[in-house]
Amino acid sequence: MHERMTQGDAEPQPIGRVVATEAQPASPHQFHFWTAVATSMGIGAIVRVDDRGRTVYAVVVDARAYSDLDTPLHDVIAAEGRPAGGPAPTRRVEIRLWTAAVLRQLPEEPLQPVPLAAVYLASEEDVQVALRMDAYLRGTAPSGIPVGVYTGGGLRASVHLDADFLLGPESAHLNITGVSGLATKTSAVEFFLKSIFSHLPAGKGGVAAVCFNVKGSDLCFLDQPVSLTAADLEMYHRLGIDPEPFARVRYFAPFKADGVNLNTLRSHAALVGDVQPLVWGLQEVLDFHEVLLNRDDLDAKADAFIDFLSDRIVDREFRDDWGGVHRVRTFTALERLFRAVFDGLEAGGRTDMWRTHHVATIRKVRNRLLNISVRCRGLVTDDGVSHDLPFGAFEDRALYVIDVSGMDQLAQDLVFTRVVSKLREHLERRDLGVDRVVVFADELNKYAPADGPDTYVRRMLLDISERGRYLGLVLFGAQQFRSQVHRRVVGNAGTTVFGRMDTDELATPGYQVLSPATRIKLATLAKGELMVRHPHFTQPIFVRFPRPPVLAGPDGLAKFPPAPDVSFEEAVVRHLVALDPAVAPTQVKEALAGRREDDVRRALLVTRRARPDDVVAYFRASLGPRVAQREVGRVAGAPVPLRSVEDPYAP
Amino acid sequence: MTAMSSSAPSVAESAAVVRPMGSGPRVREVLAAAGARLGAGRVFGAAPPPVARPFQRADPLEATGIDGVRVGGPAQESVDAGFADGVQRFAVEGWVGVAPVVRGYVAAAVLHRHDRVLAPAAYRREEFIVAPLARLGGRIVDDLAGTGLPVYDADADRPHPLMDVQRAAQVVERRRERLEADVVREYRSRYPGVWLVVDGSLAGHTDGETAATGRYLVGVIKSHETQFLAGRDLETALTLPEGCRTGVFRRAGPGGVELYSWYLRLRDWAGRDLLYGLLRVERFPGDGVVGEVGEISRWLLAERAPVSAPDGRWDRLLYPIHMVEDFLRAKVEATCTSA
Repeated sequence: MHERMTQGDAEPQPIGRVVATEAQPASPHQFHFWTAVATSMGIGAIVRVDDRGRTVYAVVVDARAYSDLDTPLHDVIAAEGRPAGGPAPTRRVEIRLWTAAVLRQLPEEPLQPVPLAAVYLASEEDVQVALRMDAYLRGTAPSGIPVGVYTGGGLRASVHLDADFLLGPESAHLNITGVSGLATKTSAVEFFLKSIFSHLPAGKGGVAAVCFNVKGSDLCFLDQPVSLTAADLEMYHRLGIDPEPFARVRYFAPFKADGVNLNTLRSHAALVGDVQPLVWGLQEVLDFHEVLLNRDDLDAKADAFIDFLSDRIVDREFRDDWGGVHRVRTFTALERLFRAVFDGLEAGGRTDMWRTHHVATIRKVRNRLLNISVRCRGLVTDDGVSHDLPFGAFEDRALYVIDVSGMDQLAQDLVFTRVVSKLREHLERRDLGVDRVVVFADELNKYAPADGPDTYVRRMLLDISERGRYLGLVLFGAQQFRSQVHRRVVGNAGTTVFGRMDTDELATPGYQVLSPATRIKLATLAKGELMVRHPHFTQPIFVRFPRPPVLAGPDGLAKFPPAPDVSFEEAVVRHLVALDPAVAPTQVKEALAGRREDDVRRALLVTRRARPDDVVAYFRASLGPRVAQREVGRVAGAPVPLRSVEDPYAP
Repeated sequence: MTAMSSSAPSVAESAAVVRPMGSGPRVREVLAAAGARLGAGRVFGAAPPPVARPFQRADPLEATGIDGVRVGGPAQESVDAGFADGVQRFAVEGWVGVAPVVRGYVAAAVLHRHDRVLAPAAYRREEFIVAPLARLGGRIVDDLAGTGLPVYDADADRPHPLMDVQRAAQVVERRRERLEADVVREYRSRYPGVWLVVDGSLAGHTDGETAATGRYLVGVIKSHETQFLAGRDLETALTLPEGCRTGVFRRAGPGGVELYSWYLRLRDWAGRDLLYGLLRVERFPGDGVVGEVGEISRWLLAERAPVSAPDGRWDRLLYPIHMVEDFLRAKVEATCTSA
């Protein structure tokens, strides 16, 4: 039988009634209720039950429909065995029976079973109370960060997270899971960052975000506007967020192997000018040798020798045993030292030990370290000047995008590890420039897998997850398969977000706490819909979020197609013109004539880092005096190409 | 509240065990050899209750007499219509001397079907007290009236513990019939020109307004206590094949009112009992009534789906009527448990 539901604007009308039987009783945490067949109720809707001074808020987690049909056989009899027969003159009476999980009871003590009373759809105020948002949205210091719009039961209500539980110090970190290809994870994080930048109260200090663009062009156009639908704009209005792209985005990318063309898809002439090179030298890399060298390389002896190099040689004046004086700051200088050691040992008839280190160990370390600049060419320079993120001068509400999508895995690991380590160092010293940094890392199941070797990157992620909230270092991690990410990484995320999920993933044990209907909903979520778990929410909540107000990767590539690589000379001109549009290309080309490319690269980096008023003059000065070139043959101390990177004993 | 007895057969009673008795197979072989139709072989433990009015007169109205007619298959379209039924419950709450004091509960409802969906259209209920008032004494009657419930008399010349209760039950039944007539009248005023199917005979709806506007009333009778036909006509009626009806006949109703009636077989009764799937349909006389018999029969034939199982009378209980019973049963349960 179909009950008619009336719902006036002024006086809310019940949409259902709690029912309880001995087999399916109402408990303090769950109850059942029925509604009319035609209802706006759905999985994820928030409802309220009022009865004699007790109010219960709950979210619908499961639903069933059935008729009074006693056995399917009766339907066969009624249809006389003909499935194609027309419908019966009367529809069987049916029921919509819903299961709801309690979000909150008022009063909270004594905790009692849900009363058998009428059920109402939640109002906007009910949603706030049900999700305990009233604790951080009201009062003198509200700290709500909008995460989306709840749309259950025909209502639209904004849902906020507590900044203290999203960015620390109470709890921190956000983890998002979803299938690849829908762009939900990236879009959601972009929207969350926009929301944080818009709503984090000034009293909470400055905040910045560092995003690692690990694949494609996902994060390459965060400063470019996009046309939004009316529905998206309405959501932005409701959530109090300006639907504009990020105002302060700083792009960093390593060079390609040529050392002048940037290794990024944001290479369109109109955009590449504000992409800054990310170039590191020996000093930046040596502390993170563990990332680059595998376990087989790093035995105790090799590790001890590397420590010796770090502590006693690099960036110090070092006198070798044969009268040479070295100040090692580059890979080239390091190779010069190694050559001096090998030559000195040979000349002295000693071939086994130097400064307590076996020569085989020294050769092995030499090969491994010098190979770094080969494997990470474009990021690590042999003798160039480093160009790094502005540690110490991070800007409030700024986004630092590091495009490592064109680099191999090893180089990506190095970038991630070093950047996060530096962030942590500066946050510990309170001299980063902001009080909090959100680090967005996608593909966590690759960087912090549940199984597999214990890598430096995974240890780094574990460290952020477990200690980061005290420092203001917040991890926004994303992955396709949450079950394949180290459980301490996902477990330490105070806020967990789910987009559309893979059904195989949903079948893993971690999701068994969700009702079957919730799991089905997760498997079929539309783009722009999320399920959110937050410390204040006692049950997961479904929300919608608007499309981020920035150009998505594929759209960006269509609008700003990547420029083809240009010649060495032209690339240098473009870099300098980007610093000062008044630079005349002919001046630059004259300065380049007859110069060695390594010298040019070094001068270019120095100039970019200095950002002088007179770009060309500074660049010329950085190139140094012109020296007539002549063929001198092989010079002792010059880097020797490796014959093999695999053989540790190769000369 | 005291447990209440029900006059309706329970599902368990209706779904009697079907199994041949010891010599059953041999007897059935003989019957089959003689050309008899075999029954379901249901086992009973007691004699059926006595039939109050076993026979009445009937006059055929169609030229073909009572002969069976194939109605032409079930109607394809659902008909918007009302379906009416009532329930009654009573309990002996106590005795004053040997005089029983009975609390009665009756309810009646009409469900309206529109676009295949049923919804309540009229509902009334009444709770009251029945007792042989002359034997109670004035003070007790006043006290009973003070409960707020109507008090009705079930007078009897001479006390008899069983017949006193039986007479009270008859009062309850009359109250139920009155309530059914009320909801039918209410529905008729709300939905003039819409068919209304009443569970049981139209004999209870012959007075005043209802009879005058009874053109759209259809009575559907599942029990066949009173036989209107005899001889070959009776055999024709009770052995109708599935999807066939008898010719229309005229029968006398209460107060000199005439009613038109015919039998209709909803389901094949082969291997079942004689009355399996057999309905008798009633209408008030009027122009064109006989001409509409085929259309109404096809409509009722379509009402075989959905089946009303697990109700034991599902072979001839129309699903909408079954739903009215369910509706009223739910209301009774709510009333009986809310005290």
